[in-house]
Amino acid sequence: MSSRTKAAPRKAAAPAAVDLRVRIGPMTLRNPILTASGTFGYGDEYAHVIDLERLGGVITKTVTVKPRAGNAPVRIAETPSGMLNSIGLENVGLERFRAEKLPKLAALRATVVASLGGETPRELAHLLEALGDEKGIAGFEINFSCPNVAKGGARYWAVPRRLERTMRLLRSLTGGALIAKLSPDVTSVADLAVACEQGGADGLTAVNTFVGMAVDLDHMRYRLNRSTGGLSGPAIKPLALARCHEAAGAVSIPVLGSGGIMTGRDALEFLAVGAAAVQVGTASFVRPRAALDVLEEMAQWLAARGMRSLESWRGGLKAGTVPAAGAPWEGKA
Amino acid sequence: MTPAPSRNGRGGAAPALTGGTGNWSQVRARVVSQRPYGEGHLWLDLEAPTRFGVPRAGQFVQLLLRPPSPVLLPRPMSVAAAKGGSRAVTISFLYGPVGSGTQALSRLTRGDEVDMLGPLGRGFPIEAAGTPVLVAGGRGVAPLLFAADSLRAWGRRCEFFFGARSSAHLCGLEDARRRLSRLGGRLHLATDDGSRGFRGTVVELLEKMAPKLEGPLVLHACGPHGMLGALARWALRRGVPAHLAMESVMACGTGVCRGCPMPRSAASMERYRRTRGDSPSLLGNAEYAMCCTEGPVFEAEDLDWDRVE
Repeated sequence: MSSRTKAAPRKAAAPAAVDLRVRIGPMTLRNPILTASGTFGYGDEYAHVIDLERLGGVITKTVTVKPRAGNAPVRIAETPSGMLNSIGLENVGLERFRAEKLPKLAALRATVVASLGGETPRELAHLLEALGDEKGIAGFEINFSCPNVAKGGARYWAVPRRLERTMRLLRSLTGGALIAKLSPDVTSVADLAVACEQGGADGLTAVNTFVGMAVDLDHMRYRLNRSTGGLSGPAIKPLALARCHEAAGAVSIPVLGSGGIMTGRDALEFLAVGAAAVQVGTASFVRPRAALDVLEEMAQWLAARGMRSLESWRGGLKAGTVPAAGAPWEGKA
Repeated sequence: MTPAPSRNGRGGAAPALTGGTGNWSQVRARVVSQRPYGEGHLWLDLEAPTRFGVPRAGQFVQLLLRPPSPVLLPRPMSVAAAKGGSRAVTISFLYGPVGSGTQALSRLTRGDEVDMLGPLGRGFPIEAAGTPVLVAGGRGVAPLLFAADSLRAWGRRCEFFFGARSSAHLCGLEDARRRLSRLGGRLHLATDDGSRGFRGTVVELLEKMAPKLEGPLVLHACGPHGMLGALARWALRRGVPAHLAMESVMACGTGVCRGCPMPRSAASMERYRRTRGDSPSLLGNAEYAMCCTEGPVFEAEDLDWDRVE
């Protein structure tokens, strides 16, 4: 964690001075920082501690057709520099989401992306038929990558032809932005990315959590009830960066990087390897304000280097490495 | 018009939350002192800005170590004492350094800083009618020392049952004794090995003593889940209201991560079905309550004790 969670100097080098806007299909985000699905409720829960309007976007907890109670405890295990979760897509279901959550989201003045989950293409189509034209929702992230459910999880969706057909079906149901969230636990993220692009996706999220496991030796038990869970946090950042780089190199649609982003510098690393935007997840569990801190740190970093826009900075990543003497081991500011 | 005891969620009303769904904040807190508290335990006093609410007994906070830290997530810590002031809020903890997070916490000294988020969750409804019977198991004594303080402030006597494996594990005993002596409350001790007080469990001791206590009783308890389960069953059989502070692994502590489910009883499921429209998404669902927002203090009839881990 070293310098990661150090509070940003709050007197902000006027982040507004840097043009941070990002386009994802029909959706224009104020900046490239979004909250990751499953780490920020349905959007309104943290509204009292963080000015949501300043974020690029808020991605809701995954909504499924029927409510889901989620997996039996234990659902969380902390691991070195990370955490495993096995929540199991607990959510209020489409009916309550529409009746109770949508009105609140519409009042937020935040850019809301609804995360949708389904066990079949038909279920996803049903959700999009119900929500596709909702005014309060700017876009949809399709969760093709939950590692913690018995049916319709990451394994089921990690088939390029299925993804392409499903995206084609969903494309016909909404004019909103369509983003496909991919699993990292596949042979080729690039193949899945290309399939989603060909199916009509406006963007991709790379990546969801990595399947992991932890053991309690004292009791000779798994630490999670379902034995495996999804690993998130700083532990996965290098892995996620590589998957994000792979996906971005394979498609021409924007890629949203995700995995272990705790600071502005972490976000910039994803943007440097080809991400158009990034998602802050586990960091919000640690500090509810984390996404805003990441945004401020990133904007300050760019402003300090005289950047007027994110676009002018992008694409500057060079091949080769820096000689050891100048290697930024510890991420000097 | 709602009387305070409706916090216990009885009478068909949706449980009103005293914390966890909105009235918390995350602040920088400073270590005022940290000292040994006997048997490897520590007592930690933190000072926070006054905008941090004053917790009630049974509530918890999330302590996040400043970098570099050996752990990623904040530690949910039960509050052992709290005092509001005009300049600062002082919040105290009694804990054992059992994991890498609490071990790092144990190395903090005066002037060090931590991030503190809270107050979180529902505390003990100490204003509930009846003779308060506080039941502590091991280091679960922390929130009950706080409850004893709060009762004293209300001018109410209590019966304090304290059990542990052996006399060496009765940590906080002298503090409990001091608190009780001022109001004439009584201390009842039990150890599994009989090295102090009654030989047996604290629930067995309560069973033995209950006929001699002035009823009606209302229980407030904290300790290992096995003890709380036994206590819950005892209370349910006798129709004695019991408020039990549970523990769970947590990530966020605020209801967002959905990481700390507690299995609901059939009665609780039924109540959820009737009142779910009033429940914000930070509470639990039809099958599970969330320990961080609906708890950590639950009523005996709210949980399915056969499924509590």
